[in-house]
Amino acid sequence: MASYINNRISKIHLTSNIKQTIVAMLGVTFGISMYVFMTGFMTGVNNAQNDLAFSSLAHIRVYNDRPADNTNIAAKVFPNSVINLHNAKIIKYTDGIKNSNIILDALKAQKDITGVTTQVNINVFFKNAGNKVNGSVSGVDVVNENKVFNISKYITEGNWNELKQRTDGIFVAVDLAKNLSLKVNDNLNILTSDGISKNYKVIGLFKTDVASIDKSKAYININAARHLIGANQTYVTDIQINIKDYNKTENIINKMAPIIPYKTESWQIANQQLVAGSSLREIIAIAVSLVILLVAGFGIYNIMNMTINQKIREIAILKAIGFSGPDVTQIFLTEAIVIGIIGGFTGLGFGYLIANLVNKIPFEVAGLHTLPMAYTLKDYILAFMFGLVTTFIAGYIPARKASKIDPVTIIRG
Amino acid sequence: MQNDIILKVDNIVKYFYVPDKFQVLKRVGFEVKRGEFLALVGKSGSGKSTLLYVLSTMDTDYEGSLIIKDTLLTNKKQNDLAAFRNEHIGFVFQFHYLLPEFSALENVMIPALKLNKISKEEIETRAYENLKLLGIHEQALKKANKLSGGQQQRVAIARALINEPSIIMGDEPTGNLDSKNTQVVFDIFREISKEKGQTIIAVTHDDDFANHCDRIIELMDGKIINQ
Repeated sequence: MASYINNRISKIHLTSNIKQTIVAMLGVTFGISMYVFMTGFMTGVNNAQNDLAFSSLAHIRVYNDRPADNTNIAAKVFPNSVINLHNAKIIKYTDGIKNSNIILDALKAQKDITGVTTQVNINVFFKNAGNKVNGSVSGVDVVNENKVFNISKYITEGNWNELKQRTDGIFVAVDLAKNLSLKVNDNLNILTSDGISKNYKVIGLFKTDVASIDKSKAYININAARHLIGANQTYVTDIQINIKDYNKTENIINKMAPIIPYKTESWQIANQQLVAGSSLREIIAIAVSLVILLVAGFGIYNIMNMTINQKIREIAILKAIGFSGPDVTQIFLTEAIVIGIIGGFTGLGFGYLIANLVNKIPFEVAGLHTLPMAYTLKDYILAFMFGLVTTFIAGYIPARKASKIDPVTIIRG
Repeated sequence: MQNDIILKVDNIVKYFYVPDKFQVLKRVGFEVKRGEFLALVGKSGSGKSTLLYVLSTMDTDYEGSLIIKDTLLTNKKQNDLAAFRNEHIGFVFQFHYLLPEFSALENVMIPALKLNKISKEEIETRAYENLKLLGIHEQALKKANKLSGGQQQRVAIARALINEPSIIMGDEPTGNLDSKNTQVVFDIFREISKEKGQTIIAVTHDDDFANHCDRIIELMDGKIINQ
């Protein structure tokens, strides 16, 4: 129940010592702008990192894993005896995914899946005359590969779609091409582990900025890859799946696992260091921002405390002429909240400005041009809420103190 | 209950605990009639101001009973007492105690805005009338801290009158004023007690002031020795 007169008194207090009010607001402004900037920067870094990672990594990968280790099978039957088996082998009866069409049809029925592409990945030697480099060649579904990995973004020479028609064509990573002294239209010989050798024509180059990939990878048409290893038309080694929200892989894997007789693996499981890096950065960003907000909160607390000490006789007189404890709390809390709201909005604006400036700082590493930055509405709202809660608490404690002032002791001196 | 008894205290006992336990008021009891102009006198330390603050409802730490306008106020909650003061009691202090950042007019209006029984425009008109009654309407829009001591005291009286309280209490209301302003304040009190029937209870050192009141209650060492 905010009465007119209480608000009027709050307003007079705020405007009669405008300098002090501005200092208190600047505290909030600073806290919130730093919060907005820090979280934006961290999210930007994480997004950049993920973009980089997802240039060669799908959200979910389906593949034929090696069977369980049964080399010591005798020990399972006779656990208490000592049996030596020499040269025991694990036999993998199936290689790759044989009837990919059935799985692809099953995946199409799933919601939340935004892209599916099939690959035939082969470990090979790249040979160009005397130069020999080992690496891997991916036979890809040209159109879907681009949907899932956005590969055309990384093409530096040539036209990605040309691979659709050219079963003799090959896209080579830039560093690999350099090591083999290859240019577009040069010939490249590939040697598989089964001893099959075939020539391809370089029709383009690509650069992902992931060094290990740029040194060892090449793309050919998926049918050419099947041909290279003598596999049938539905054979694939990997099915790569992208989903709507890459943080929600677990749900989808839980739904997929029972219907797919192969290993389904999320990017988080495959790349735990990425997840750890992202989480740690987030924790640091939140810790730093909260500390800043806390400091700003102490600033407000101090100023409110000072104001109340200055106005202690006024508070006593207000109580003498009929203002109750809750009235006094309300007057000072209103002041704190006004400071919080105005400081909060300027903080959001100022934080956006800083983020924008930092976003323009050149940073030419790993495919980035400027420092990364994310502008997330949720973070801005959260920053504002945090600021408001901080000012509320920082204002409430002194306001409560003010409400408990005994007018008699103050007036009688 | 006789209707013309506005305030009644019985067996008021009060202790101070700092620096040592000390009994300030010893079984004080009296009645005040409607429209009476009462002076509380006594030497310093006699307990007259302490008694006034008990009467004012601001000091609740006492034994005995306090009845104003047939309402028992002893042991009521602070917030209820604040609302009661707002409506029924006006205060004038020795050091005027205005809100320095507000204009004289606003200072007068505040208790009425708090009471919130009539519209803001009516309050403003009434506050201006009160200032005019006290001869300081020309200073109405000046900030309170820009006024002289005598003017500030008159603004404080105008503020005490704004809600037309039954009782006006003054703690040395003229203690800080020269003889001319003292006379002005006294005349105002005299007039409102006579014409509007408002009761006035004033603590004073000023014998001359006291002698012109309707009634004097004299305290010594926490007891009434003369009334």
